[in-house]
Amino acid sequence: MSRETKISIFILLFGFLAIGVYWFLGEKNGYSFKNERIVLPHRGAEIFKDLPEVKRYLEDVKKVITTTHTFLELEDNELDEKAKSVQKFLLTNRAFLQDVVDAKGQMQHNDMMTIRPAIVSVLNAKSKKLCSVTTCYQAVKYNFVTNTTTRAIVDVKSQKLLELKRFKAMQPDVSQRLRKIAQAIALNAPEVKAELGEEPSIKEMSMANVRGSVNDSPCENREHLCVAPTFSYHDKEEALWAIVDLTELKLAAAKWAGLGKTATPSCISERSFQNREVMEKYCQRDTTYVQNGWSLAYRITGSDGLEIVNATFKNRPVIKSAKIVDWHVAYRAKEGASALDGSDSYVAGRRVEYVKEKGDAFFFGYNDAMGCPMFSTSVVLAFNVPQIKPLVKKGKNVGFYIVQDYRNPKWPMACNYRYENRFEFYKDGSFRVVGVNIGRGCGEDAIYRPVMRIDLNLGEESFSKFDGSWSRWLVEQSDFQKDAKQYAKNRYLYKIENEERGYYIEPNRGQFNDGSRGDNATLFATRFKEGEGEQDLLTLGSCCKLSEDGVERYMDTQESIDKEDIVLWYVPRIKNDARAGHEYCWADTVLENGQLVVKEYPCIVGPKFVPIK
Amino acid sequence: MKKYLSIALSLFVVSSLAFFVKSIKEKPLKVSVEKSNIGTFKKQKSCVRQPNFLRKLRITSSVAIDLSQQNYKGLAFLYGESFTEVLHLKSWEKFDHFSAYALTPKGDMFLTPMPYISVKEKTFEFQKNIYKLDSNSGKLSIWMSLDDVIASSNNPYGVISVEYDCDDNSLWVSALDETDYRNSRGIIYHIDINTRKILEKVEAIDALTLKLIKSEKGKFLLAGMAKENALNAYVIVDKKLQKKPIKLLELDDSNEHIRKISVIGKNSLKIKSIPFSYSLIAQTQESSIRKEYIFKWDTIYSRFFIYKNNI
Repeated sequence: MSRETKISIFILLFGFLAIGVYWFLGEKNGYSFKNERIVLPHRGAEIFKDLPEVKRYLEDVKKVITTTHTFLELEDNELDEKAKSVQKFLLTNRAFLQDVVDAKGQMQHNDMMTIRPAIVSVLNAKSKKLCSVTTCYQAVKYNFVTNTTTRAIVDVKSQKLLELKRFKAMQPDVSQRLRKIAQAIALNAPEVKAELGEEPSIKEMSMANVRGSVNDSPCENREHLCVAPTFSYHDKEEALWAIVDLTELKLAAAKWAGLGKTATPSCISERSFQNREVMEKYCQRDTTYVQNGWSLAYRITGSDGLEIVNATFKNRPVIKSAKIVDWHVAYRAKEGASALDGSDSYVAGRRVEYVKEKGDAFFFGYNDAMGCPMFSTSVVLAFNVPQIKPLVKKGKNVGFYIVQDYRNPKWPMACNYRYENRFEFYKDGSFRVVGVNIGRGCGEDAIYRPVMRIDLNLGEESFSKFDGSWSRWLVEQSDFQKDAKQYAKNRYLYKIENEERGYYIEPNRGQFNDGSRGDNATLFATRFKEGEGEQDLLTLGSCCKLSEDGVERYMDTQESIDKEDIVLWYVPRIKNDARAGHEYCWADTVLENGQLVVKEYPCIVGPKFVPIK
Repeated sequence: MKKYLSIALSLFVVSSLAFFVKSIKEKPLKVSVEKSNIGTFKKQKSCVRQPNFLRKLRITSSVAIDLSQQNYKGLAFLYGESFTEVLHLKSWEKFDHFSAYALTPKGDMFLTPMPYISVKEKTFEFQKNIYKLDSNSGKLSIWMSLDDVIASSNNPYGVISVEYDCDDNSLWVSALDETDYRNSRGIIYHIDINTRKILEKVEAIDALTLKLIKSEKGKFLLAGMAKENALNAYVIVDKKLQKKPIKLLELDDSNEHIRKISVIGKNSLKIKSIPFSYSLIAQTQESSIRKEYIFKWDTIYSRFFIYKNNI
């Protein structure tokens, strides 16, 4: 074999080998949604308040609100001489300033965003003619409270307002000052730092994706002013897109995505990020967690809220499943029952059910299911992802809790609701199933009933109630906790146990120091049966028939529960309160320092399970 | 020189193979859709008519069919000056809410169901049916049940859209029930009205709305997609739907999905869009998030462009 032939064979073999390696191991070009990774922040705006840019900005806004009663001016370095004169003129122009106060005369936060030479396309015919012979500038202001952009066209020489247009629910191009603030927030966000694995540099950041025109915002359902600074890594052909909420001055969300066409800013929105993250990580699969001797899995269900499954403490099974399957919401109307025709009606996005009472009074309301934001039948949807936080009592870390926030998109507006599903796990093996209601609902006369389903995993369980001594329940039955007069050790009303171990059940009577006014619950003990809530339940029973909680349907035959797999249904009953100073299960929006601030008045219910020693 | 021929040949083979492999490897991962146009089209004279019972009731002025569910459950006919008069029967509420309708030359109306706001005992069962409002009697009944359509709490949608085909007295119907977060398993059914026979069943298309259109290039079924923010066209050849889509346009917002398509003039489409995520449609959704556009075909750039939005 000649030397040349040997070289040819070598080239062929080496070439085929290299191509084979490239085929199987080489990076694939092209864009794939699988390459996208979503980053959701776990902390709010408070961590950014001390950034020098943010701090100075907030001080300036406060000064405007309390003293000048106008708008936050653009700084001189963003203005030419003509623009400065336009800004000065607009600071005293009544028409331009008309929307900086609300109907009650309260100041609202407004920023001047840009003042530039007017472009022809925004001018009407009259202004177009005039501005062709004189100098016209366009000034754009944004009202953070009403989410309204105002555009003024000003004749610079004559200092005359030629046009004034307001664009409701639209956001403008932002000022250089706000761009720098957005950069500072993105650069200092712990989640961004963690993703980039290094201290991010401003050099790597592109601000190409700030709003370029009066257009829809990518965050808070388009109601906030947001921009999307980007960290591009051309060598890896990917970029981290950060969405910064300039209304609340915080990081709203971030996404790793390819640099291809499909990663354009129009595809980016805080809501779609959250939905995808929730769907992919928590609706499609279980997440396991281990801490303080507890090992458990959790998931977001289609319509039964956050579910804890297969929890063990020190390797012994404790919970098979715990979840809140429904919130019954009922309002009392004193009269009008005779006019009801029995058909459905809908108020603010829900089917309203009516239950007639004595006389002309009636109850009306809804059943609220909480669940996944897509592919579900829920109306109160998972908002952000489940959070795990330390459980601190009297300054001491006593365990951890998992919490999932559920909201109607328009909360805290009237007839919109917000619920939290919280599961507390203590170092001593105790746990608590907690339902939190943060209003606001449709009115002041509401009765809320969260339906909790708790299936312990002790094996061959027996259930007892304390009424001076422990008496065992042999068949399925229910009990009104609110009627109880005696508690074992002044804490426990029920217990569930087998021959080896068990748990006391401590209803909430306000003793947990969380501002609660008690559970006033009904407890049901039923025998586990397939089709009775082990999978997603649709709404259970009537919202408004207060003599029933919906669980009664599972007790028709009063089966034996002694030494069986017992399912506990615990249904607290909460009355909301909207009286000033006494708010409970309520939320309100108030204007403070020119900004809308949500005041939350949660009501917290749920029993604690304490190991029997 | 000849002795180096084998080396040159081997280099040529390896480099050609490398080029071929690289070009395959760098092909976009997403299944590509054909990007071409459907040719010039214009508004065509409709072959359908309003139900006969309206004439019997002396409702002869313009009639609007209201499936909005805002004021009337099921369906209602609005007529008179400014459409303030209403014809709505209690019996039209018995199958709950409707999503879309198609009229026929006889005046019969076919309707598709929709889950709305709350799930009740029969909600899922209703989603498998195509309903018919009889032209003469005004009686509403189940015309056909598609038993393979099974709505559930993980996807409450079943049969969702319907379009009448004047050429062969048939219906094009779309269903979404089998789709989940990962997979599009929607189906388009082509059903003969006379025999109630399914002529064709095309799988893996999630169409939120359907519209037949004829252009100089042939007959197309336009589909507003439920998973993407796109309008696709599927060519119909010899009454058979070709599965490969032509993507006509994409809306700016990835959460927007096309809910209604109308041809309003030469190369002009009116599009209505809603946010859609296979969850229940709630009444709280403000009108501001339901958008309307007019798209026109740009012959120079060969693409649709927005002529007007939020009209």
